[in-house]
Amino acid sequence: MSVNVSTLQARISGESTASSPLSTEEYFVNMGPQHPSTHGVLRLVLRLDGETVRDVVPVLGYIHRGIEKMGEHGNYRQFVHLVDRMDYLAALSNNWAVTMVVEKAAKMETTDRIQAIRTLVCELQRIQSHQLWWGVFGMDLGGFTPFFYGLRDREQLCDIFEKTIGARLTMNYIQPGGVMYDIHPDFVKDVKTFLAYFKSKLPEYDTLMSENVIIQERLRGIGKLSAERALALGATGPVLRASGVAHDLRKSEPYGLYSQVDFDVPVGTTGDCWDRYWVRMEEMRQSIRIVEQLIDNIPEGKTFMVKPAAKIKVPAGVHYSHMETPRGVLGVVLVSDGKESPYRIHCRTPNFNNLWCIGEMATGGRIGDLVAMLSSIDLVIPDIDR
Amino acid sequence: MSWQVKTMAERTGDLLPGSPWTAVLYVLLTILAVTAFVTLCGLVLIYAERKVSAHFQCRLGPMRVGWHGLLQTIADTIKLLLKEDIVPRDADALLHILAPVLSFAGMLLVMIALPMSPSIQVADMNIGVLYVTAVSGLGVLGILLGGWSSNNKWSLLGAMRAGAQIISYEVSATLALLVVVLFAGTLQLSGIVQSQETGWWIWRAHGCGIVAFSIFMIAGTAEINRTPFDLAEGESELTAGFHTEYSGLRFSFFFLSEFLNMFVLAAMASTLFLGGWMPLHVGHFTVFNGIMDLLPPGLWFTLKTSAVIFLIMWFRWTFPRLRVDQLMRLEWKILLPIGFVNLFVSAACVVTGFYFFAG
Amino acid sequence: MSDESIAAPEVLPPPEKHVGTGGAVTGAVPWIDKSGAIGGVFKGIRSLFSGMKVTVGYLMRPSTVITQQYPENRETLKLPDRFRAQLAFNHDDNGYHKCTMCRICEEACPNVSIIITGREKPAVSKKEIDSFVWRLDSCTFCNTCVIVCPFGVLRFDGTFESSVYDRRLLAYTLNDYAGPVASVLEKIEDPEARKAAMEKRDPYGAHTIIEALAERQRAKKAATHAAYAAAKAARIAKKEAAKAAAEAPAAEPAAEAKDVG
Repeated sequence: MSVNVSTLQARISGESTASSPLSTEEYFVNMGPQHPSTHGVLRLVLRLDGETVRDVVPVLGYIHRGIEKMGEHGNYRQFVHLVDRMDYLAALSNNWAVTMVVEKAAKMETTDRIQAIRTLVCELQRIQSHQLWWGVFGMDLGGFTPFFYGLRDREQLCDIFEKTIGARLTMNYIQPGGVMYDIHPDFVKDVKTFLAYFKSKLPEYDTLMSENVIIQERLRGIGKLSAERALALGATGPVLRASGVAHDLRKSEPYGLYSQVDFDVPVGTTGDCWDRYWVRMEEMRQSIRIVEQLIDNIPEGKTFMVKPAAKIKVPAGVHYSHMETPRGVLGVVLVSDGKESPYRIHCRTPNFNNLWCIGEMATGGRIGDLVAMLSSIDLVIPDIDR
Repeated sequence: MSWQVKTMAERTGDLLPGSPWTAVLYVLLTILAVTAFVTLCGLVLIYAERKVSAHFQCRLGPMRVGWHGLLQTIADTIKLLLKEDIVPRDADALLHILAPVLSFAGMLLVMIALPMSPSIQVADMNIGVLYVTAVSGLGVLGILLGGWSSNNKWSLLGAMRAGAQIISYEVSATLALLVVVLFAGTLQLSGIVQSQETGWWIWRAHGCGIVAFSIFMIAGTAEINRTPFDLAEGESELTAGFHTEYSGLRFSFFFLSEFLNMFVLAAMASTLFLGGWMPLHVGHFTVFNGIMDLLPPGLWFTLKTSAVIFLIMWFRWTFPRLRVDQLMRLEWKILLPIGFVNLFVSAACVVTGFYFFAG
Repeated sequence: MSDESIAAPEVLPPPEKHVGTGGAVTGAVPWIDKSGAIGGVFKGIRSLFSGMKVTVGYLMRPSTVITQQYPENRETLKLPDRFRAQLAFNHDDNGYHKCTMCRICEEACPNVSIIITGREKPAVSKKEIDSFVWRLDSCTFCNTCVIVCPFGVLRFDGTFESSVYDRRLLAYTLNDYAGPVASVLEKIEDPEARKAAMEKRDPYGAHTIIEALAERQRAKKAATHAAYAAAKAARIAKKEAAKAAAEAPAAEPAAEAKDVG
């Protein structure tokens, strides 16, 4: 990693910002690639003055698998299953992002039923992703129990997906031209049961974490990110919304059936860790609202518009489409030369941009704050490296 | 009812009256007894923690080894004993090896002063409270050494956190102890227990007892490095803090001393505030007191200690961790002033005789 | 920070339903009001106790335990129909399959986890399947093969305990027999002839096929290398011969050239 070493050396030679007359030396610590709270193989090089973080340099590439390059060797349908492995907590959103650009470029028709199912499963997955985030957030702050409660409730959704889709994590469900299967006969009933259950559990989440004085003390005013900086750094999703920018592609450029449902976009004010926390908690409630509106009104219609084995060809040119995953904007750039496989495909993943906000937030905080900030950004490392 | 207090020292004296070997026998018996107790207590505590935490988290905990996983801890002990013992190349080997021993020794030394029943106590010193406070401070030396000698920045951070935290909180814990010492008028632990014959200090001293108990619990939890004050280990922050570089047997020493420190804290809390082995007495209501006396004192001690241990576990499996500066703020800006005020108020109570069943 | 001068980009005008203030939409932010010092402390302590109430609630109700005791509940553990665990062939009641060896699934597979070999001497029809090899070790369970199959031959079933001690055994032969499809077999009336057209296949025998394929590829590669080396040697020999031929007559002009230089 020669590049990073030189970056670091440049920073070392900079003037010491150590504040206390007692401090004698700043030092570097590698947080990761094997560290419990980087949630994967992210490496952060920290410049520390005692407990105080002076600088954070993320080092990437530990789980680079070349998904984009691999995509050039297969057809579009084969690429969809690869993007499952980018943001593995939102596999369906990733599927949909690729599907969307292919369908837009190839001008494929879809039915309302397809769009309704896609919207439903993606919103359920948003809840699922935020549940896991909530649990992990609690664990990163030192409370182990929220982790189990979050995963327990996530399990209910996993079971629902298991019935309809057949997989729990890497789903490969939304395909160009439709969805892989029609929903399971039990789907509507199961989802309603889950919603009733989860609505009774959300207040418990609040009692255990949101209303806890330690949590509030540890999150309030920590890791502030101004709206200007968030926009300049390209942050999206809850990270951007917590900074006070009401940017949500589900509202501003509605896809799926989002234009037909009624929901609010929670927005924070200061962009601190608490705002990011609370925006996500509110998003879970909004997702429940969306699912409730859709679950009884799934229109009839086909679920696959083309034959599954049909070859998809995209007209030559550059195509772009984006959507709102649980972590932010996932944009897919597709350069096609008119053949069956993409000439170049690039994913603008939300986590990559959100990660760089950590440098902005962490400076001057403590190590404990850094962990809270990392967790409040809700990073999925394979999504950064791809 | 009068309690016949007999310590292990006196019992050994009975065995060999007038023999010069008494002291040797006493030491040997003490070592045997404390080691056996520590082992057993550690096994029970670890099992209890696993089960309690599991049920807090909608799990079952260990279920495979033995009936309901009873032998799981033994299996884990064997595993830890068989693991390779690594001393990092650049570590200060001597201190690295010494650290867990010191940490363990601090806990062992406290053990001998605890009065577990009128007849189960190794040594009944007339400065018992002072001794416990002093000797339990040895544990932090082990943690500091362990973190420093590992030559690992995370460990060093953990050790420094632990040093700052434990030494700070010892102030508050001692202030809380002094409240009871004031009321009981003695530093001797068995004397403190017997001073609660007409009621426990937690309720007899009006508000002072409960405040002191709360402060003692908070400060004690911080002293034994348990969530919400587990900054020295800080799993999610410092990977494992001061014991990052420890493995196998040495790690198990740290681990065991952490668990037994929990027992020590609970035992001290119940001895000072909840009457130790003294049954629940209310003044001179002989009938009520007589009913309470039906349970043996050892059982009372066990029940009280278990309750306090459960409380500590309950804290751990509910609360998130504090940040390092908040931890210091809590101690120096909140607990310490409250502790001082509480001490003055209780001193006034003692002088004026204003507490239940005084005299 | 040097880039502070960058003006804030124009924020998208919030659509009507956007909520632009505060964090709260459905409920108030559960702030602990710390305006009064003493009151704040008590509210903080109360928040801790309410959290403890939640956790002890679960401790008190063992019915809330959600973990499954896995090996013990094997009998009752049923995975959903669509669960993607083990790829399997659909054989009908007679034990016949419908695979015509069209290789659509083989092409659709993103990472060559399906290898289909045909019989060298088909018994009845033109093309007959010999082995349908599925490699669990490289499969990503994307389900594409199942949905592309035009005859519904493939399915995923919920047999998820597929661990073995030798990873070569993770390649399975899915078809029970090598031979023609069900419709062709049903036309054969003589049971003996029918039996003669079919040949049993061992589900765990697939690794021999994979190894044979790999061996063939290695041989092909070696042959290519040998041919390349031979060509290179020939080229070098030719060049040297040309050089030697050129050197003899070119000696004098070279000397002339030197004089000129």
